[in-house]
Amino acid sequence: MTAIPQMRVSTGIEGVDTMLRGGLIPGRPYVVEGPFGSGKTTFCIQFLQQGVRQGERALFVAIDEPPSELRENVRFLGWDVGKIRILDVHPAAKAYSKRVSLVEVAAQRAVGSLREARADAKTESMKQMSPDLTPQSLQLMLKQELQEVRYSRVVIDSLTSLKRLSASEGEDIDSGILSLLRFLSEANLTSLFVTDVPDPASLEPEMFLSRGVIRFHKFMVSSRTERFISVEKFRGSAHDTQPRPLRITKSGIQVDAEKKVGKSVLKMFDAVPAEFR
Amino acid sequence: MIREKVKVGIPGIDNMLEGGLIPGRPYVVSGASGTGKTSVAIKFLLEGASAGEHVLYVAIDEPPNEVKSNMRSFGWDVSRVHVFDATSDILSYDKTPVRDVSTERKVVLFSSVPSNIRKTSEKGPADITINTIQEILKQEMKVRKYSRVVVDSVTSLRRFYIRTSEEYMALQSFFRLLSDLDITTLLTVQLPDTPRPDAESHMARGEIRLHKWLDGRGLVRGVTVEKFRGSYHDHSMRPLRITDEGPSVKLAAPRRRGEPRREEAEEPEPAIEPEAKAQAPAESQPPEPPPPDDAGGGAP
Repeated sequence: MTAIPQMRVSTGIEGVDTMLRGGLIPGRPYVVEGPFGSGKTTFCIQFLQQGVRQGERALFVAIDEPPSELRENVRFLGWDVGKIRILDVHPAAKAYSKRVSLVEVAAQRAVGSLREARADAKTESMKQMSPDLTPQSLQLMLKQELQEVRYSRVVIDSLTSLKRLSASEGEDIDSGILSLLRFLSEANLTSLFVTDVPDPASLEPEMFLSRGVIRFHKFMVSSRTERFISVEKFRGSAHDTQPRPLRITKSGIQVDAEKKVGKSVLKMFDAVPAEFR
Repeated sequence: MIREKVKVGIPGIDNMLEGGLIPGRPYVVSGASGTGKTSVAIKFLLEGASAGEHVLYVAIDEPPNEVKSNMRSFGWDVSRVHVFDATSDILSYDKTPVRDVSTERKVVLFSSVPSNIRKTSEKGPADITINTIQEILKQEMKVRKYSRVVVDSVTSLRRFYIRTSEEYMALQSFFRLLSDLDITTLLTVQLPDTPRPDAESHMARGEIRLHKWLDGRGLVRGVTVEKFRGSYHDHSMRPLRITDEGPSVKLAAPRRRGEPRREEAEEPEPAIEPEAKAQAPAESQPPEPPPPDDAGGGAP
C-alpha cells in the first residue's frame, strides 16, 4: 500500500499488473529482458494494444523484425493491432552507396500503422539507401515523429540490436542511450526497451538507468518448455518478489499472479544464465 | 581517537558496522540494479536531516522529481534534504553550444522540486563533468556546512561525466576532495550481476554491498559489509528486506571483539549464503571467511 495513490499504466496483462501492484509508473523507461522465444515481443505488443484500447497513441519501433513479419505473427494470435503505429527502422542490407547524413535519416523513415505493413516491405526498404541506425539517429527520428503525434507508450524492439548496429559507427553508445532515455522521459512516454539476457559480468547502462526490469525466463521442465516472468526491479513501488508462470495462449500472454512456482522449479532460477556459466 | 560514529539510520546495518560509519570519510554502497542502494542512501540522509544536519543528494541517475515521489511510497518525507540535479540533458546532435551547468542549476531543497521532470533548456544542453560536480560541492560547502552527502550513482558519474583519459586520477581526486571537505559520503555503485571489484571499492574507506538473487524462496535480498577501514565489522551476510516502510535488516546481536555475547541479546538471524554462485570478490583487504557460528560462538 502506498502513502499516496499513484497513477499506474496497465500492461494489458492482468497478472503482470498484479505483480506490479497496479501497473507501471507513467512517463518512465523500463527494460523487458529475456532469452529469445520467452514472450518479450508479445508482451510489448499487448502493452501497446492496451494503450490503444484506452484511446492512447502507441508506437512500436521495429529493429529486429520487419513490420510485415511482425504483422503476420500478431495476426496468428488473432489480434487486431491495426491502430498500433510502427516505426520501421529494420536495417536493410547495407547499401554500398554513399552514407546518408544524419539530418536526412528522419526524412527517410516513415511511421505507418501496423495494418498498412505491406508484405513486400522488406524488398521496398532494400531499394532505399540504408542510413546508420544509432541511438542518436533514433532519437532524431522519434523527435520528428513526436512533433506530429502525441504518443504515450513506446516500445523499442530491441535495444540489443540497436547497440549491435551502432557498435560499428564509433559513436558513444552509452551517452546515446542515456540521452534517448532522457528524451522519452521528458516527452512523458512510458517506454519499454527489449533486451536479450545480459551478460551478468557486464554492466549495461539501461540496467541502471531504467526504472524497472521485467525479466522473462524460459527453460525445460521435464521435457516441456516452461515460461516464467519476474519483476527484478521497480523503483517507487512494491512488487511481487516471486517469479510466476507465464503461458502464451491464443489470446496472448497469461500470467497467474496467484500461482506459486514449485520449489524444484524455483531452483532452476539462477542469477547466472546457462550461457554464461 | 575516532569521533562518534555516524548512523546510517537502518538499525541492522548500523549494527553490522559496530555503530555506524566513521565521520568525514567516503563510503560505497554497491549492488546490482534493484537491490535498494538509493533507498539506503536516502535513509542515511534522512537520519542526518532529522538531527538538524544539512544533507545533500547529488542526483545523477534518476531525476529528483522521481526520487521524491519514490520515497513517498515509503512514507518518507525528503523535503528537508538538499538536492543537486546533475542528471544529464537530452543530447542535442546539432551544433548548439553546450553551456556550463553551474550557471544554470542550483542546489535546492527537495520540497521545491516540482512533480514533473526538468526539461532540457531550449538553448541547448548543459555540460556536466566530474569537475563541475567537484566545483559545485566546494561552493556549496561555503554556503552551508553539509555533514552528509550522497552521490547517486558514482557509476554514472564515471561512465558519463569523466571526459579524460585520466579516469583513475579524476576519481581519486574526487575521493580526496570528499575527505578534505570532512563530509561523510555515501557513493552508490552499480554492480553487474556477477560483481567484479571496481576502482571505487578500492578508494572508499568502506563498502556496504547489497545482494539479491532468486532461489527456492523467490527473490531474496541480503547485505554484507565488504570492507570497513578503522573499525571492526560484521562478516556475515544478513537478510535485507524492502517493505512498505523502506529497507530493513534484522538486527544481529551487537558484539565487540573479545567481548562475550550478552545474554539478553536477541538471537541473531542466521547468516545466509546465496545458493547461486557466491563468487568471492578479490578485495585489497582480504575478507575474513564468515565463522560458522557467527556471533561469538567461542564465548561461554
